[in-house]
This record gives sequence, structure tokens and C-alpha cells, in this order.
Amino acid sequence: MKRKKCIAMLLAGGQGSRLGLLTKVMAKPAVPFGGKYRIIDFPLSNCTNSNIDTVGVLTQYRPLELNSYIGSGQTWDLDLSYGGVYVLPPYATADSSEWYKGTANAIFQNFGFIEQFDPEYVLVLSGDHIYKMDYNKMLQEHIEKGADVTIAVRPVPWEVAPSFGIMNVDGENNIIEFEEKPKQPKSNLASMGVYIFTWEIMKKYLTDDNADPNSKNDFGKNIIPNLLRDNKKLYAYAFTSYWKDVGTIASLWEANMDLLKDPPEFDLTDPRWKIYSRTPVMPPHYIAPGAEVTGSMITEGCTIKGTVKNSVLFAGVKVAEGAVVEDSVIMPGSSIEFGAIVRRAIVAENCVIGKNAYVGEAEGDIALVGHGTALPEGYRVKAGEQVDTEEITRREAAEK
Amino acid sequence: MKDVMGIVYTSKDDLTLRELTSQRAVAAVPVAGRYRIIDFVISNLVNSNIRNVGIIAQKNYQSLMDHLGSGKEWDLHTRNNGLFILPPYLTRENGGEYAGILDALRANFDYLRRSTQEYAILTTSDYVMTTSLEPMIQQHIKSGADITIMYQQVTPQLTEFSASSKNNHVYMDIAEDGTVKDLEINPNAASYGNMALNVIMIKRTLLIYLVDQAISQGLHDLEADVLRPAAHSGSMKILGYEEKSYYRRVETIRGYFNLNMDLLKQGVFEEVFGKTPVYTKTRDSVPTIYRESAKVANSLIADGCVIDGTVEDSVVFRGVVVGKGAKLKNCVILQDCYIEDGVELENVIFDKAVTIRKGERLVGPKQYPIVIGKNVTL
Repeated sequence: MKRKKCIAMLLAGGQGSRLGLLTKVMAKPAVPFGGKYRIIDFPLSNCTNSNIDTVGVLTQYRPLELNSYIGSGQTWDLDLSYGGVYVLPPYATADSSEWYKGTANAIFQNFGFIEQFDPEYVLVLSGDHIYKMDYNKMLQEHIEKGADVTIAVRPVPWEVAPSFGIMNVDGENNIIEFEEKPKQPKSNLASMGVYIFTWEIMKKYLTDDNADPNSKNDFGKNIIPNLLRDNKKLYAYAFTSYWKDVGTIASLWEANMDLLKDPPEFDLTDPRWKIYSRTPVMPPHYIAPGAEVTGSMITEGCTIKGTVKNSVLFAGVKVAEGAVVEDSVIMPGSSIEFGAIVRRAIVAENCVIGKNAYVGEAEGDIALVGHGTALPEGYRVKAGEQVDTEEITRREAAEK
Repeated sequence: MKDVMGIVYTSKDDLTLRELTSQRAVAAVPVAGRYRIIDFVISNLVNSNIRNVGIIAQKNYQSLMDHLGSGKEWDLHTRNNGLFILPPYLTRENGGEYAGILDALRANFDYLRRSTQEYAILTTSDYVMTTSLEPMIQQHIKSGADITIMYQQVTPQLTEFSASSKNNHVYMDIAEDGTVKDLEINPNAASYGNMALNVIMIKRTLLIYLVDQAISQGLHDLEADVLRPAAHSGSMKILGYEEKSYYRRVETIRGYFNLNMDLLKQGVFEEVFGKTPVYTKTRDSVPTIYRESAKVANSLIADGCVIDGTVEDSVVFRGVVVGKGAKLKNCVILQDCYIEDGVELENVIFDKAVTIRKGERLVGPKQYPIVIGKNVTL
């Protein structure tokens, strides 16, 4: 078989616990975004658009949704006879059976997969960012600079730098130091969690790391420090376009709102860099007489009879007469009933917001209604609160 | 129904749809915001578990091929059976179009013979209807009929969209036991109250036999030359199957326009889209964006649009831009049209990718909407 120049390994196993109830039933990369996408559509579409046609998706936490979403990979043109997309869950062998212990260990456990394609380079991606990036350009620089590892970095505002993994570089963008969440950052270049390894280097360092019983088997905590210790050439590839970590309720909400600005902060409409997604088959959306829709994104299968302002609505959402949705994100199949008011909130998939219920407030933190919740008539979810069916039952029991 | 194959006949007589069919077959005419007419026909077959679907194409089939592709959107890209596009091929007798469905079937005898299903459903592709064919299939098998013809009782609504056209309108006299006694073809005033819907079920081998017989005798018309004589003589058992679903044949510009307007009615929309999924080619459009001065009422809007004007009682297809202060009323706007700021449109059909410049105004009469052809800039 022909050797693949570069294959991608997408780390999609994390729970994403900072997303609270949103990731109770699905892994973070499967979380819906932007009206008709899921977070994983962004790295997968980036791969397709960058001509990287072999992608291993490492799953662990709640893989069902992700597995069925990826399917044959046809959506991203990744249903190939040699290459394509593969879902790689942890597996048992004759003498061991282990969960993925860390990001590096997850990839180490799939060396067999990588070796099938005999690649020169391995691209490591994570499934929790919204961005459009040409990985091929990064690969070109990796090759030109003769780097052992190239790490994509993006400048972030200095005040938030302490919450990222920060790369300190010399005048030629060579990484000289890596600091995980430094209190006093020396640079504002945050690691995007996108790495290109020369395969031989990856093979050696991940094998050694696996043999070390004290290692956390993590790229940031172990592999990169080890490479720096050995004076390997680590190059920082600077990326300056839109890039958003959507690991928290607030940042996920914000990234959705970024799409609504005119012009949008993040543009999904570029015909040369399409974001592919697996969409349900639904008719065009219907806006009824008396409805009011402004500053919003609406997609197929929606029926709008009430008011929708500055919001992102996913497929099949229903907004009844007299209902108001403002500054909110309503995920697929949810229904906002008569007189209900939803403000600064995320409503997850297949919820019913009962008549005259309130979700969120005009100010304050983002409220969240979890997957499949039927919110009773007149129920109130305050700013920053998270509820789902269990939580409602618990509250009702407590009242009695 | 693994044992039934579907044969979809795309007709060539497109004249009454004017600009809309100048570059495409009727089956490929866009409808309801994101579909083509043939999507409904194929979805009905697939939703009735029919896995072998042949599309008999004639002139202008390029856009049909482009739309159907491998059939993957209908889950018809399987190893066995699946979607077969049967384009016309030139032979001494065949000039790229057929004299009728019998002629078309004769030209595709190999496909018919090679198929393994016991039964065939023959259908045209010039109507919008969402239904399951399973009850008809059940009735056909149970009754032991040779041929079953789908029909609907004539109502003013059923025929209002096609009144001026007389293309293959078949009315049937049906006895109480369901037997078809007579067929009337393209009458000026129909004597019978049952209109055939151009969906027929028959055993595959019987179909092959009938086609061969007819063509060898120089006969070309399925209804007039085969079905009517058989109904009269009783040589075959021909039964009617009453279909009650919403059915509209698309034959004229006005009919096309009215059909799109009809879909704005909640009841009709439910009848067409609320039962089973209607599959179509996806385009990876982004969701539609409504800007601050958007005002939309009673309209169907597909994905990928940017709306900053007023849209009322209209159907807007994918990727349309409606500029600030633009006003649309009673319009059908096909894919990728660009309506600049301040434009006023009423009773207008825009084919694909029409651009209308700032401040222009175009108002058609309600009974006879203005049609603007593909890629025109006004």
C-alpha cells in the first residue's frame, strides 16, 4: 500500500465536564453548534479541506452519539477504501485491557492503527474548538523548518493567558519553554491543542512515556516537557484567525452569538472552506403570520410562530405563539410552548419548555436546560442555573 | 417490499412549464424550497421499502443525473439493486426520446429482464404527493389483480392546477367491486369522477409480455392501446386503488405557483411533510440568517439565505439574499437569487440565480405570475 504522508488522530474521548449537563449524555465533540453542526464537524471538515484523508477518532466517554454521527464518514468525504475516518475506542488485548489513561496514552494504544498507513507525520487534534484551519500549511512549515514537533499557537488576550497552556518562543518561533496555566505568563501564545509530530519522534517519545510508571501520559504535562529536555526542535506555528475554545457553557454560548454579528466574527459561508455536517432531512422552515424573527439563525424543520431575537435555532425547533426566545441557543427538536420566555440560555436537544415557563434572565449567567427535559408549565430556571428531568424531580421532592 | 421494483418515467412534454423546463425535465423542477419534484416519487418508493428503482430519462436529463447522483440520499447506493438511471440511447429506432411509456420500457428491456422482483410499480414523476405505497401493494397481491391503477376521486382542488393542460389525463369508470370498466383519455369534459394518478402496479413478467406484444403490433399508448381494450374485454383483471393523500400534478406555471402557495397552508404542509421523510440532495448550506430589519410572515424559507427585507406569503429556496427594504409578496424564489435593497416583487417566480438590481419593481397579475428564467439579471 502507498504510504500516507500525514494522518490525523482526533482526541474525542474527553467528557468535557465543564459543559455540565450538556455532556451528561454525549461526549463534548458531539455537542451541537451553530444551527446545524456539531463541534467535531470543524476538525473533520478542516481535515477534508486540508487534503488529510485519514482520521482516527479516539473515543471513550459516551461514544454512542459520536459513533452514529460519524457513521461511514460520507458526510466529510471520508468514506474511502484506503484511508477515511475510523472510530477507535479503547480495547482489550490478551494480557491487558485499559481505558485511555491520558491523551498520549490514547494515541500510544493505537500505534497499530497508525502503522497500517506508515505515515511520515501524525497530526494530533482535539474536539473542543471552533475554527477553520489549513493543516496543510502547518505541515509545510513543519517540513520546511525541519521540526520534530510543531505546535499551533494563537495569541490570546494577556488577561486570560493564565488559563491556557502557554508557549514561550525565541525570535524564530522555536519553543523554548512550555508552561501549563502560568500565574505570571511570559508570553500570550496559547497552545491550540493541534500538534504535528514527525512519526519517528512520536513513536519514540510515546513508547518511552508509556514505560514510565510516574507519567500522566499527557501531551502537555509529559511529552512536550520531555522533548524540550532533550533539545528537540519544537516549532510554534502561529495561527491568528478565529479560534474559540467551547469548553464551558459561557464560551459555547458566546461562540454561537459570534455567528450572529454582521459581519459575523466567524464566517461559515466560505464556499472554499465548507463545514460539512450530517443534517437530518427536513423541509424548509416556516415563519407564521405574526411571528417576529430578527438577528437570528434559523434552519430546516423549524416552525416559528412567536418572537425570536438574536438567537441560534437548530433543526426542528418549534416556537409557539406568544413565546419569546432572546439571546439563546435552542438545540435540535426542542419546543418552546405558548407564552414561555427564554433569555440568555442554552436549551439542549429534544426539550419541551412548558407554557409560560421562564428560562434564564435578561442579565447574568447563561441558564441551561439539559437533554430531553420537559420543563413544567410556569417553571422558572434562573440565570446561571442548570436543570434536567432529574434535577426537577429532586427539587419537587425537596419541596414536599 | 423486497419483491417490488419501481420504474419512474420522466416525461418529455414540458412545454406548459415554459422557462422552468427549458433546461430541465419536469421531474427536476425545484419545488417547496429545497426539493425537486422527483424527490417525492422516489421517497415514496423508498419509504415503501422498494430497493430497486429505475429512472427512465429522456431529453434534458443532465440536471436529473446531477440531482440523483449515486442515489445515496435515498439510501439507494446499495450493492444489489439500488438506483438505475436509464438514459435514452440512440439506435436506429430511438432518437433520444420515447413515444410513450411502452416505447421507453421496450428500450430498457434488459433492465426489466435482469431485475429479480416479482412486481413492478410504474409511475410518472410530475406530481407532488407523500404516501406509503404499501396498502396498494397489499391490495394488489391479495386481490390477485393483473393490474392495479391508483386513482383519486375528482375534486375541484385535485384538478384546478392543471385545468388548462390535457396531458395524459385519464378518468376511470370503476365498478363497486373495484374493477376498472372503462378509461377515458384526455376528455374535454370527463364523464367519470375518478382520475388515474399515473401509478400502476403489475407483475414484472406480465409487463414484459404486454410491452412486447404492444410494440410488435405498432401500439404505443399504455392507456389507450393496452389498458382500455383489456378493461372492455375483461381479458385482464384491472382494479382501482383509491389513494386519499394530497396529490397535485405540476403541469402549468399557474399550477406550479399555486402548489408552492398551497404548501404555506398548515394542513397541506403536514400532509406533504408530516408523514414520512422526503429525501433530497443536500447542499451543505449554512442556516438562514435574519438580520435586524427582517420581517417575515407566512413563508417557507430554506437554508443558506440572508434575509433583511420583508417576505410575505412566499416560498424562498436555498441561498437567496433578500436585501434591506426589499418587499416580497406571493413569490416563489428559486436557489441563489439575489434581490437587492429596496426591490419590490409581487406574484413573481424567479428561476435559479436571478439577480434584480436595487430599487426595481416587478408586479405580476395574481392569476398569471411572471416567470424570470435562469441566470437573468434585471
